[in-house]
Amino acid sequence: MYLDMHSHSVSSDDSRATVEQYLKWIGVLRKRGHVVDGIVLTEHRKFDFDKDYSALASQYGVVVLKGSELDTRYGHVLVYGVTEPLTREIDFSNVAMDTRELLKAARQHDAYAVPAHPGRFGIGLTEYIQQGETFDDVRIVERLNGGSRKGENERAWELCDNMGYLGVGGSDAHLTSHIGTCLTKFPTDISTEAELVEALLSEQFQPVWLKDATNGTTGE
Amino acid sequence: MPYFEDVELGDEIGPLQTEATDYGVLEFCQVWDNRGPSRFTDQAMAEESRLPGPIVPGIMSMGIMARLLTDWAGTEALKDLDIVFRQPVPHHKPLTIAATVTDTRQEDGENLVECDILMTGAEGERYVGGKAIVVLPSKP
Amino acid sequence: MATELDYDRSLHDKEHEAGPFEVTESQIQAFSRGIAETNPIYTDPAAAKAQGFRAIVAPPTFCTIMVRQVSLSDINLKFNGAPMGGGMHAGQRVQSRAPIMAGDALTASSHLKDVYAKTGRSGTMVFIVWETTFRNQDGTVVADVQESFVRRG
Repeated sequence: MYLDMHSHSVSSDDSRATVEQYLKWIGVLRKRGHVVDGIVLTEHRKFDFDKDYSALASQYGVVVLKGSELDTRYGHVLVYGVTEPLTREIDFSNVAMDTRELLKAARQHDAYAVPAHPGRFGIGLTEYIQQGETFDDVRIVERLNGGSRKGENERAWELCDNMGYLGVGGSDAHLTSHIGTCLTKFPTDISTEAELVEALLSEQFQPVWLKDATNGTTGE
Repeated sequence: MPYFEDVELGDEIGPLQTEATDYGVLEFCQVWDNRGPSRFTDQAMAEESRLPGPIVPGIMSMGIMARLLTDWAGTEALKDLDIVFRQPVPHHKPLTIAATVTDTRQEDGENLVECDILMTGAEGERYVGGKAIVVLPSKP
Repeated sequence: MATELDYDRSLHDKEHEAGPFEVTESQIQAFSRGIAETNPIYTDPAAAKAQGFRAIVAPPTFCTIMVRQVSLSDINLKFNGAPMGGGMHAGQRVQSRAPIMAGDALTASSHLKDVYAKTGRSGTMVFIVWETTFRNQDGTVVADVQESFVRRG
């Protein structure tokens, strides 16, 4: 199963894509021979408990899951399987929250937190590790990010190799046509946020570029 | 000018290749009433703003990007242009503006085509990005 | 410790009015030159009239150069107790509602829409968003412009 683990809809301040537009675009990608089974909406600094995308998901045949991307003291962190108890313990709008506390709290509340774009200049986890910080609770990072600049995915890759981290992939899409540019390949089907957390805990996945997620009929 | 019925999701618009010169930026700043040295026209002031050199004003980049769409769809077709300035745009460097159709729909009696639009550099730098909505006529 | 964003929140309810500003032929022509726009509807009165307009038409993002004519209040922004000044342009939106032509007299009305903090490659940033509505001499709304500025800590 191929999931885009990092995307933003108009619910995030800097995105210009609606969820329906993402799903329509996935239809375009599928016609071109790519395989994109689902997306995770990781909105900035919030979790949209009140938003229900099940009708759209059913209409377009795409799994739509919800998560968050939070700003923390040591970079951005993707959170999957967000629960109400987690949002009561952690203030999602706090841009200087303690990263280590977030990682622990996520696990305590059945969620899973993954440092985003760890190779990003100025704000990736790599920067802080190079400054001597340690993060004992990190096991998975976003190894492949579709919004990264030249050199940043390479730095993330190197971090994973050096630290033994596992990696996921996500587009970091803020525009419709950027959805699906990077994905995570799982061996099992995932249809709920809880199943996604279980899949992450299984440690059986890998990040892939869209060009490598095909059904054999693309021109690439 | 294309007809609404001929446009499909995934269609590419452009590219438009251009660059912003020192003189062009200066002229733009004058009509903008932003006269006098600034980070847009002066090296020292750009460096004070932690920039490597003078940059193109955001609204000038926006005007250039709008050209791609008015050239394609007509002078009155552009209804909405919504962009984010992601990286400073340098003078005298190749700039590419291109758009991708991401949605077509009819709303309040109008044929709307929505697209992602990007201004990128020679190394793929994403300087400015956003979305636009144009109105197209139906086939007669 | 949560971050603290402090600014003059009363500005969300305050309209800043400006104008009228006359839109001149030479302004439209200079703007068009600045963005390397060569379509004669924007520069040649005869070409514009042949298309049914009474004068040359302004390119669709023309009114963005007029937003700075509106004197906006200082929001007195403080982040974690420290003043944050300066700022760079972060984003812009123009919704064109009706053509703007040479000879039009535009008025502008602006208000503070949003202020929020986030982090990125250059550290902690605060975004300030203003909305401006432009009307012509007939009271017709010709454009809505949204501008976002970023200040860095």
